[in-house]
Amino acid sequence: MRVDLDRQGFAIGGENTAVSRALAAALLDNGAAEIRAGISDILILSLPLCPGPGFDWSAQKALAREAGAAMQARGPGEGRGRILFLLSAAAALPLRRFPDYSADMAAALAFMRALAMQLAPEVRVNALGAGLIGDPPLAGDPAMLRHAALERPGTISELVDAALFLLDPRATYLTGQMLSVDGSWSVGYGRNF
Amino acid sequence: MQTELDGRVAIVTGAAGAIGRAICRRLAENGARVVVSDVVEGAAQAFAATLPGGADRVMACRIDIADPQSVESGVADVLRRFGQVDILVNNAGINTQAHRVPIDAFPPSEWDRILRVDLDGTYFMSRAALAPMLARGAGGRVVNIASVVGLAALRLQSSFVAAKAALVHLTRAMALELGPRGVLVNGVAPGSVLSEGTRALFYSPDGSFAGRTAEFMDHVPMRRPGTPEEIAEAVLFLSAPESSYVTGQVLAVDGGWTAGSAF
Ligand SMILES: NC(=O)c1ccc[n+]([C@@H]2O[C@H](COP(=O)([O-])OP(=O)(O)OC[C@H]3O[C@@H](n4cnc5c(N)ncnc54)[C@H](O)[C@@H]3O)[C@@H](O)[C@H]2O)c1
Repeated sequence: MRVDLDRQGFAIGGENTAVSRALAAALLDNGAAEIRAGISDILILSLPLCPGPGFDWSAQKALAREAGAAMQARGPGEGRGRILFLLSAAAALPLRRFPDYSADMAAALAFMRALAMQLAPEVRVNALGAGLIGDPPLAGDPAMLRHAALERPGTISELVDAALFLLDPRATYLTGQMLSVDGSWSVGYGRNF
Repeated sequence: MQTELDGRVAIVTGAAGAIGRAICRRLAENGARVVVSDVVEGAAQAFAATLPGGADRVMACRIDIADPQSVESGVADVLRRFGQVDILVNNAGINTQAHRVPIDAFPPSEWDRILRVDLDGTYFMSRAALAPMLARGAGGRVVNIASVVGLAALRLQSSFVAAKAALVHLTRAMALELGPRGVLVNGVAPGSVLSEGTRALFYSPDGSFAGRTAEFMDHVPMRRPGTPEEIAEAVLFLSAPESSYVTGQVLAVDGGWTAGSAF
């Protein structure tokens, strides 16, 4: 798929991961340019996507707040600014074995939704919820496989394409949402048969 | 977005309505063969004639989703014409206009009429369209058009709220059952969208709730209703080859309405 990001600037903050790098490449491929100073049209905030210990995402939070305010201050132009959080699908469904990680992810999801309300209508703010992606995992936990109806890990391009959709200039009424790319893990957690 | 639907056959129900028309157009623009189906056949035909591609790529037909016989014969017509079904968009739905009353005053006949279309109809239609989709074994997509009222309840439309909440969960159940067989099932939950129906309530000066529109919009961070095209864009993504690991999700396209409390 193609989205028209011609002449749009993007910036990426937070963790440098295989996912953030693949997304950067896709943004370039669809016409956007990476900018290192000034106000971008698109801000990507990358959080740790493989469940583990709790993590500190205060830098991403500060960046989102600051860049969001700048995008909003740039003046009218509904949805011109876009902020995308790269989260784990565990943001909406905590993992028993990773309580601190789950809580930090849930906090990031709540922050994303509140920010979407605060920055509307100039800035759209959404999140991607990554399930098990790649083998070995680039995102998610191998235990997710048992509860995913698609019975396979997702690919990095499947994750990146969903990110492009959320950033698409045509998705003009879409804000405050997390779209999970998890093969139904977050839906099918109740039982594995 | 621009994607390649490559002649995939898409049935859209309730396709003569505001959102259905926009969905048909976006699917057709991206290469799908589109079946414009509606209970009002003339309206389906008139709209189908405006789509790109002509008779090779577009067909109109009458399907009343609340009537299993109409559903069966409609799907048979589609198979005769196009030979397959790849995408089903369960878009047809009705709400109450006349009975904006609490549940204790809600007429049983109105309750039945709405549940029959919104919930039973979605089941009848899914069952009929899945048969050829699963038999062919090439996978497929179902997109159910739910509503934000299925995620966050609203007053004075209890049957619609119940039906849409049921569709949200039905979407998840279908995804779990059909995922291993290659059919991905997702939902789109529109917020308030400009259509003939919402104009009669909110978005025209003589709408029955016109005095409360500004107060309503205070709950929507983007402070406006959505357009049918904005709903169609999400349906397009969920029908596209690129969303191949997304299943069981219900995406609200609501200008931030259900992101949280705006107050
Ligand atoms: N407009 C909104 O604000 C809004 C908000 C949330 C959800 N939705 C949902 O989006 C979908 C489309 O809504 P819309 O606003 O385009 O409505 P609409 O009333 O403009 O169109 C609905 C179409 O469905 C057809 N229809 C009715 N009963 C049918 C049946 N039994 N079988 C087949 N077709 C039938 C109608 O003839 C009409 O063409 C519905 O499911 C609705 O609940 C709409």
